[in-house]
Amino acid sequence: MESATVTAGHGHAEHHGPPEANQSSRIDRQTLGILLFIISEVMVFGAFFASYFFLRVVVNPAQWPPEPYELPVAVAGLNTAILVSSSFTVHYALESIRRGNRTGMKLGLLLTWMLGATFLFIQINEYAHIGFSGRDLAFGTIFYSLTGLHGAHVFVGLMLLSFATIRAFRGHFGPAAEDHLGVEVPGIYWHFVDIMWLIVFLTVYVL
Amino acid sequence: MKVNEAAVFKWVVIVGAVVAFLVAVTLLTSELVGAILFGLFLVAGGVYAYRWGRRKWRGSRD
Repeated sequence: MESATVTAGHGHAEHHGPPEANQSSRIDRQTLGILLFIISEVMVFGAFFASYFFLRVVVNPAQWPPEPYELPVAVAGLNTAILVSSSFTVHYALESIRRGNRTGMKLGLLLTWMLGATFLFIQINEYAHIGFSGRDLAFGTIFYSLTGLHGAHVFVGLMLLSFATIRAFRGHFGPAAEDHLGVEVPGIYWHFVDIMWLIVFLTVYVL
Repeated sequence: MKVNEAAVFKWVVIVGAVVAFLVAVTLLTSELVGAILFGLFLVAGGVYAYRWGRRKWRGSRD
């Protein structure tokens, strides 16, 4: 078999507690963990998208969005640009630390966090002014469910980025791949959040 | 297969480009055309993912 498993070798005299778990030689466990988590979250979003398409296509109401509701497509488009930009800044942060540029990493993480917070602020402001609630027809429910689910993921991503930024300013990260997993893993999660928003924006606001 | 942030960022760019294209087509034509194209992209993505998985599995067994 191509993939190998690696078990840490400890001397018998030093053995304490259970043996160390096997791990793949092809992917580190932190990256594997975030990938498995993302796959599970894609399934959650899939369920909500299925509900959206059932309401829109199978139930097939006369008008969508139903009168008199309207969606602020331009504001959502601005939010999309902000979130896509934040993916570029987090990528810049990671490219910087891979090259040993700690200042670039800190700047990238700070910019990413600010762009993400701006996105969330605009989203909450949109909720306050949109003119309908989650109790207004099935349309209101699915709109708030889908965008709210995404907003919750953005909030979690901001928490991860906060930890990464604080650790970056404390000098915890280095250029070697295993020395900046604390930035790499939040970066992967943030890209997932961005890709998911692109799909939400396309299906809910545009199509 | 490289599994790191750069590999995932590549997909942000690809999905972003596809979504931008679909938004432009939808605004220029109609929602139905956009939805059909979106469906086609989903099918193409599924086929690509299936073939990638088959290549990966074949490579692992050799």
